[in-house]
Amino acid sequence: MVTTVISESSNGSLHPVSAQIVGAAASLGEAITVVCPGGFGSSEAAQLSGVTKVISVEGGCFETYDCLAWSKALSPLVDGTLILSSSSAIGRELIASIAAAKGIPVVQDVTGLTSGFSATRSIFSGKAIEEVSISAPCAISLRANSFEPAGSGGSAEITTIDVSQEVSVAVKKALMKASERLDVSEADIIISGGRGMGDPANFSNLNEIADLLGAAVGASRAAVDTWDDIPHSMQVGQTGKTVTPSLYIAVGISGAIQHLAGMRSSKFILAINKDPEAPIFGVADYGIVSTWEEALPPLKEHLSELLSN
Amino acid sequence: MAYEALDFYDIDSLLTEEERMVRDMVRDWVEERVLPNIEDACRDGVFPDEWRAEIGEMGILGAPLKGYGCPGLSYIAYGLICQELERGDSGVRSFASVQGSLAMYPIWDFGSEDQKEKYLPGMAKGDLVGCFGLTEPDYGSNPGDMITRAEDKGDHFLLNGAKMWITNGTIADLAVVWAKLDGDIRGFIVEKDDEGFSAPEMKGKHSLKASVTSELVFQDCKIPKDRLLPGVRGLRGPFSCLNNARYGISWGAVGAAQSCFNSAREYALSRIQFGHPIASFQLVQNKLSWMLREITKGQLLAYHIGNKKDDGSWIPEQISLAKMNNVDMALEIARMSRDIHGANGILDEYPVMRHMANLESVKTYEGTHDIHNLILGRHITGIQSFTREP
Amino acid sequence: MGVAVLLKQVPDTTSKISISGERVDESSVTKWSISPYDEYALENAIKLKEGGYGDVVAITCGPPRASKCLTEAAAVGADRLIHIVTDSSLDSIQIQSILSAAVKESECEIVMCGKQAADTNSGSTGPGLSSSLGYSFVGAATRVSMEGGIVSATRLGPSGPEEVEVRVPCVFTFDKGDSELRRPNVRGIMMAKKKQIDTLTPEDLGVDTSISKVIIESHSSPPEKQPGQKFVGSESVPEVVNKLREEANVI
Repeated sequence: MVTTVISESSNGSLHPVSAQIVGAAASLGEAITVVCPGGFGSSEAAQLSGVTKVISVEGGCFETYDCLAWSKALSPLVDGTLILSSSSAIGRELIASIAAAKGIPVVQDVTGLTSGFSATRSIFSGKAIEEVSISAPCAISLRANSFEPAGSGGSAEITTIDVSQEVSVAVKKALMKASERLDVSEADIIISGGRGMGDPANFSNLNEIADLLGAAVGASRAAVDTWDDIPHSMQVGQTGKTVTPSLYIAVGISGAIQHLAGMRSSKFILAINKDPEAPIFGVADYGIVSTWEEALPPLKEHLSELLSN
Repeated sequence: MAYEALDFYDIDSLLTEEERMVRDMVRDWVEERVLPNIEDACRDGVFPDEWRAEIGEMGILGAPLKGYGCPGLSYIAYGLICQELERGDSGVRSFASVQGSLAMYPIWDFGSEDQKEKYLPGMAKGDLVGCFGLTEPDYGSNPGDMITRAEDKGDHFLLNGAKMWITNGTIADLAVVWAKLDGDIRGFIVEKDDEGFSAPEMKGKHSLKASVTSELVFQDCKIPKDRLLPGVRGLRGPFSCLNNARYGISWGAVGAAQSCFNSAREYALSRIQFGHPIASFQLVQNKLSWMLREITKGQLLAYHIGNKKDDGSWIPEQISLAKMNNVDMALEIARMSRDIHGANGILDEYPVMRHMANLESVKTYEGTHDIHNLILGRHITGIQSFTREP
Repeated sequence: MGVAVLLKQVPDTTSKISISGERVDESSVTKWSISPYDEYALENAIKLKEGGYGDVVAITCGPPRASKCLTEAAAVGADRLIHIVTDSSLDSIQIQSILSAAVKESECEIVMCGKQAADTNSGSTGPGLSSSLGYSFVGAATRVSMEGGIVSATRLGPSGPEEVEVRVPCVFTFDKGDSELRRPNVRGIMMAKKKQIDTLTPEDLGVDTSISKVIIESHSSPPEKQPGQKFVGSESVPEVVNKLREEANVI
């Protein structure tokens, strides 16, 4: 019984999530083949513990991303009782296309997996958890940071296969990422400042962290009312905007009821405030009692480090 | 938290799919376009022109009128439109009420074919804005003694006088003006560029701030002969218009009350005092329970009178009851809601005091509370008690 | 010619989701809506129609209540409405078989849908259909336009947003874009009321729904959030940042 892992790459090397997927496969006790689209990361994949074979699939069609072309190139080379990928945007598309080509069911974004197969995943954007049983052969995509990565020490054989698959999606040009900051109502991560920031100019510190995270910058009503430079459009709270991001970082915000109404449905809340009694700590998942001047520089530094890995 | 429109007796199940879709269309528009901007509009005292255009695009103006580009919806649908607009703000609903019931309706019911074709299609789209000139500085509850008069000058009419408290006046392309011609109250269509006509805006309001309220001033105002509404004489003309608007208001008040109730309930559940949400205190529950009772009763009144409007079996006194009752209960609910919000209730973070201030106007216009009371008194006893004369 | 838009009816995203008897309790859902990303697909389909491409065929697969989606689509401009009625819980093979049969019947060479549905959050349907129909695939598009048989689209590629070109036949999945979703108006609502819906069963399309390869065993509420953790001093920042990744999985 073989599990095939479709690996993922970033900047030409094996993406760390691939080690997690191999780790998940290994815990199921299967023999593991890793298929590397475009050949990227194949030598690193061969060194992962548990991997018995690496297939490096190379061809011009991998120069740009064309889901159907990649799926046509990879499907004949992907086999097994279980096919795994990451649940990144491209990981999902690819595995769904391959699963359809092979006539096997696909289940996406799984966070727990046992042999049989039984899988756990979240539904309704995390408002509920689903347990499913899946008949083999099947395809499953796994969520990042949900499974222990495989260690190193492997030395699998790498087979290179050349494919020539026609590409039908032509990439014309890359677009600049929008330079305007995201609106609070749209962002998945928000960092907000309150009157505790001391001066609207200090919001630049929040902007820097927002840029790192691809986040929007918000403000409490107190900040909006006190400073003309902080516009109403940034306000989070009752008549400002109600937001439901995955992560809400509240800096120098006391957490009075009007602000809370706007952000308490955030999945996770990190609060930074120098006052240990500030009400915001009552709703924060992680609270740091500190001035923003002391907390933001290390926050920026460590986020930057974490995200560049 | 998402808006939950109180519907305790499930009026929703009585609606047709079309009525539900129209209601949801307006509700979504209010949610996306009005609520995020209404407090600013209120602070600045403006009715944003984009709202006029978007309301026009939705095709809801003159809702129950048929033909000439008008929607031809049921009166229930018209009521739902008013409910959803007023949940946003009474000023927004006033724009639509005046346009549909007070300006489009008289042309539709009493106008000539030419007048209907000239004005109604543009008004249905919101491209032409109308207003209704009945009330005068010295004649409110007693419109019959109005002094604005029209003289027949052979090839034109000459209008002299003034109207006051006119919603949409300053932005209107046309005004349906009621004036005495040889002692008879008649309707005249005055266009904004007519000589001798001006419509200055009234400033300094504490209520309906996101609505345009104006005076209409006629100083030897010359209008062509074809502007006279041929189909009606006497107070029956303006009163028919008012009955339609009043009907819409009975639903609109429900919308305002629903907004205030929703805010009070959410606030009471999140405000913690003495270690508990105030929603756990008996006095607060008593207030919320009273609000639910009154809103439910009001909804049933509005729905029933809507059905009677649709099958034609209504009488004006039934509309007086609905308007009076529902506005009264909405105003009381707004006050009670403000009370539950505590000091926070005075901020425009919450809609309650805006609704409260608006409803003071809604209680007075389209027939004051007291006048509707006496309309019912006359219906019950057969004896009018509006004046001292027999 | 023509664009097939696949619409899924889901509990409105503002609804509270409650669990009863180890299943999401549908009876407690107060409002059902078109899945949000599907609305962007519909908007883009209507834009192509306005550009002269052809009719919009709105397709939904679901229980009887799902027909509301089609009426809503008609109110903003969908021309033909197809409802495959089924109450069964379907796996990816079954749903894709049903939808690809419906697309073939509609003879549309462009298929549009949301990048993932708001209930299952999977995103398998678009790419799966591309494979079974043999249509090209462009995912996470935010805008499409067409000229002379070539569709250009803005999509999210591996390194960021990019402009791509593709010929029909093609499947597009949509992400939230800059396009404002058009509102229905009264005229659209009244015309939609009169529009006929072609109703089919999966069996009519040759699909057996009796046995699925993916069986839902249970639904449950997410675990109670852990009580908040409080740290004193900025020295705790590195630890908290790690927790944001390891525990919360939000970065």
